Amino acid sequence: MADSRLIERRRVFQQYKADVKERGKPFFPFAMWHDTIMSFVVVVVIIGLAIVWRYTTPGNHHSTAAGWLGKLYDAPADPGTINFVPRPDWYFYFLFYLLRIFKWPESVILGTIGIPTLCLVLLLAMPFIDVRLERRLLRRPVALIAAILAVASMGVLTYRGATAKEALGVENLALVPKWAVKEGYVGKPQPIAGAKLFAVAGCMNCHTYNGAGTSYPGAPDLTAEGAKGKGIAFQIAHLKNPAAVNAGSPMPSFAGLGEARLTSLATFLEASKGKK
Amino acid sequence: MATPDTTKKDQMQEAILYPLDWIEERSGLVGGVKYFLFRKVPGDINWFQTLGSATLTAFLVQALTGVILAMYYKPDPKDAYTSIQHITNDVFAGWLVRGMHRWGASVFIILMFMHMGRVFLFGAYKYPRELNWILGVLLLVMGMLEGFSGYLLPWDQTSYWATVVGINLNGTAPFLGPFLSQFLQGGTSINADTLARFYSIHMLMIPGAIMALIGLHLYLVIRLGVTSPPWSKEAAGTGPLAKAPMNGGRSGLTRPGPRKDGRG
Repeated sequence: MADSRLIERRRVFQQYKADVKERGKPFFPFAMWHDTIMSFVVVVVIIGLAIVWRYTTPGNHHSTAAGWLGKLYDAPADPGTINFVPRPDWYFYFLFYLLRIFKWPESVILGTIGIPTLCLVLLLAMPFIDVRLERRLLRRPVALIAAILAVASMGVLTYRGATAKEALGVENLALVPKWAVKEGYVGKPQPIAGAKLFAVAGCMNCHTYNGAGTSYPGAPDLTAEGAKGKGIAFQIAHLKNPAAVNAGSPMPSFAGLGEARLTSLATFLEASKGKK
Repeated sequence: MATPDTTKKDQMQEAILYPLDWIEERSGLVGGVKYFLFRKVPGDINWFQTLGSATLTAFLVQALTGVILAMYYKPDPKDAYTSIQHITNDVFAGWLVRGMHRWGASVFIILMFMHMGRVFLFGAYKYPRELNWILGVLLLVMGMLEGFSGYLLPWDQTSYWATVVGINLNGTAPFLGPFLSQFLQGGTSINADTLARFYSIHMLMIPGAIMALIGLHLYLVIRLGVTSPPWSKEAAGTGPLAKAPMNGGRSGLTRPGPRKDGRG
């Protein structure tokens, strides 16, 4: 059975070689001419994008403001910064958004490793999964549906990744009084200072809190973090080096905030016992 | 007896052909280029089949602009950002070269996906081109890794923090994860060496792998030929397969002729 299929494949390829020899045309000049035109178009498009990138940037073409194609460069990297948005280049948005779908800590490994690895293995194994000789698309319904699903899901994930809203520090800050009422730390200066820090220090680009913020690489909701009874010392140690306390955590270190601010943040987290 | 005119013509021809003959005798390269240029391709090939060479062109643009950028870029956390500013604002046409590299990356990745889509829709990954499909998938992965490693180099807020989280995500992989993130960072956290490491990965390690893979990819394209569009009425390989070759179609592939045991 398998043997006859092998013979069939080889026969078809022999036929292909014979047909090309008999009816084919030389690569130069016909096909090469088409390749040359296409390559020319590619180079023109690349140059065009470079020109648009620069000449739509406001402010004499060297500010850090965004033109049509985004910023020429952002502010210099600052490892001690307290507000940042971890955002990859646009062609990673599909992976980036996949991480937002798997919000729960137990399933985040699916988004980070599981699904991308599975897709890559399927892609590599394609010629061994689809071993029929049929090449006409309408007679390959499974391949056609798989292709449509793959393109559609990557398109949707890229679009959702591109339009995903980041939590704006100012907007979060306005919510602090409401949180204080809900969580019961009205009038307590340290948790409120911590809450304000939490609102602007980039925490909410990954964590949600009382329905605000966005969930990213599986970062947990912190509305009832204090109810877990982990203690202030644990919270500070975790903020300083998340992976050391919670193995495998993708959260970056916030040690740059300094001891005093970390204590406020930890107090705030411990005061967050969840909605009453 | 030749007239003086023809003698001159012959001498001219001789002078042009001599260096070519010299190279051909020692390398066979002239014959190789001739074979490459005048090899037959199916008569019905399609515009979609220019996507592969378009991808190669985008890669060459990346290589060329990358070499120029490397002349001015300084892979050190203290100088990286200012060297990018210098390239963008001071160096002659620096903005153009950097812009072409920045957006050429996107074009390269889009073209890789489009080329892959074409090969998929044409069913061109099937026998005997399976190995070339695998090489293509590896090239796609390498291209994405180029995107990841190049993104850090401007050393601005966006690139820095995207890379911090990217490395940390690599670290969550079972078994290999921690080693991978340690390798990428050159330590247990992002430090002064990380940038130089990414620079080396971005401009030496992965491009070397990509060039080798492209070489193999093209070798297989030339060896196995390109497919006809599957809808074509006169697609190569669909002719009447009336007489099966006695040797099972192996001649010219892995064996010169029929097998001795006659199973063939």
